[in-house]
Amino acid sequence: MARDTKISPGGGTESAELELCRHMEAYLEGRIEAFDALYQALAARVRRFQLSLCRDASLADDLTQETFLQMHRSRRTYEPGRPVTPWVFAIARHVYLMHRRATARRLRFEATVAADVRSDETMHDAARALGDADEVRHALRDVPADQRQALLMHHVHGWSFSEIATRLGIRVNAAKTRAFRGMRRLRGHLR
Amino acid sequence: MNDDRSRRSAGESPRPKADLGAADLRAIVSRDLRRVRPLWPPSRRALALTPLAIAIVVGVPLVNFFRTDLATLGVVKAWGLSMVESAAGLAIVALGLREAIPGRALRRRALLIAALAGLALPLVIYRVTTDAFTVGPRTWAQWRFGMVCFRTSVLAATPVLLVSAFLTKRAFPLHRVATGILWGLGCGLIADAGLRLYCEFTTLPHMLLEHFAAVVASMLLGVIMTSAIAPPSRPKE
Repeated sequence: MARDTKISPGGGTESAELELCRHMEAYLEGRIEAFDALYQALAARVRRFQLSLCRDASLADDLTQETFLQMHRSRRTYEPGRPVTPWVFAIARHVYLMHRRATARRLRFEATVAADVRSDETMHDAARALGDADEVRHALRDVPADQRQALLMHHVHGWSFSEIATRLGIRVNAAKTRAFRGMRRLRGHLR
Repeated sequence: MNDDRSRRSAGESPRPKADLGAADLRAIVSRDLRRVRPLWPPSRRALALTPLAIAIVVGVPLVNFFRTDLATLGVVKAWGLSMVESAAGLAIVALGLREAIPGRALRRRALLIAALAGLALPLVIYRVTTDAFTVGPRTWAQWRFGMVCFRTSVLAATPVLLVSAFLTKRAFPLHRVATGILWGLGCGLIADAGLRLYCEFTTLPHMLLEHFAAVVASMLLGVIMTSAIAPPSRPKE
C-alpha cells in the first residue's frame, strides 16, 4: 500500500513537513502569503525533480511553473494534516507525463506531415516548395487572429479541441468552429 | 489570464507558458485565490454512498422478487453475504476515490490485489452458497436466456456509478484506468449483492456470463467514465 502517514510532530524533516502543512492549510484559506511560502519551500525541489526527468533546464523551469498552476487548480484535493510533499510531487510527475504525451503526439503529427510532403511529388521542387510556404504564410495573414490561432494550434501543434478550449478559455465547439472557419478562409485564399 | 484575453483580442497569440515567470504565476494565483473547502477523505466520501448501496441491495429483489430458496439459504448466507459483498464494494469504491487523490495512489501490487480480490468475491460467494449447480441455463450457448440478470445488474449499478463518477470528478484522477477499475468494480459488487437476492439460477454458465460479466461491465464503465471526466492534459507549446 502507499505510504499513508499522518504527520506527527518530531524530527527535523517532520518539522519542515509540518511547516508545509501549515502553509498549505493557510493557502486553502485563501492567503497568498502561504502560496509564496510554499513556492519558496518547494520550487527548487520541484525544478530539480523535473530536471531529473526531462534533462532540459529551460523545460524544467516551464514544468515547474505548470506544476504550481496545476497544484493551484487542484488544491482542494489536499487533505489537511497529510504530508504536502508527496501530493506536490505526484502532481509534478503528472505534469511531466502530460508534457511527454503531448510531445509524442506532436512528433507523430510532424512525422505524418513529413511523410505527406515526401509523397507529394511537387514538393521535390525546392524552389516551388519555398514559394508555396511563402504563399501559405501570406494567406495565413489574411485569416482573422482568433481563427488563425485555433487553426495553428490544432493543425500545426496537434492540440485536441478540448485542450485548445481549455487554453483559450472558450467552449470546445467554439474552438472547432474557429479552426474550421480559419481553414476554409485559408483554402479560399490559396485557390 | 486577462493579459491573455487582451492579447487575443488584439490578434496576438496568448502568452506561451515558457514565458511564465514566478511573478506571472503569483499574479495568476492571486487573481484566482479564494477560500476552498478541502474534499472529505475518500473513506468518508465512500461512506456517503452507504444509503444508496443499501437501497440497491434491498431494492433489486423488492422491485423484482426474492429468490424462492431464500429461506433455505438462511439469513447469514442470503442477507449476510450480500451485506459483506456490498461492504466490500464500498471499500473498493473508497480505494478508487483514494486513487484519485494525488500522492495517495496505491502501489501496483496493492492495486492488483484489490482488483483481483474484488473480482473473486462474487465467485467465492457463489461457490459458498450453491450446493447443486443445476438450476438455469446449462450450456454456454444459452446465454441469451439469462440476459435479464445482466441488464438488471448494470441498471442497478447505474445510480452508484453516477454518484461515484461525480465524486471522482471533484478529485484529480491522475491514474485514470486504475481509478476507474476500482470504483467501477466496487459499484458492480454493490449491484451484484442485490442481484443475488433475486436470481436463483445456479449454473456456472449463467453465473459467469450474466452475473460476473455484469460486474466486469461496471468495472469497464468506471474506466470509460473516469477517462471522460478526468481533466484534459495540458500540453506545452
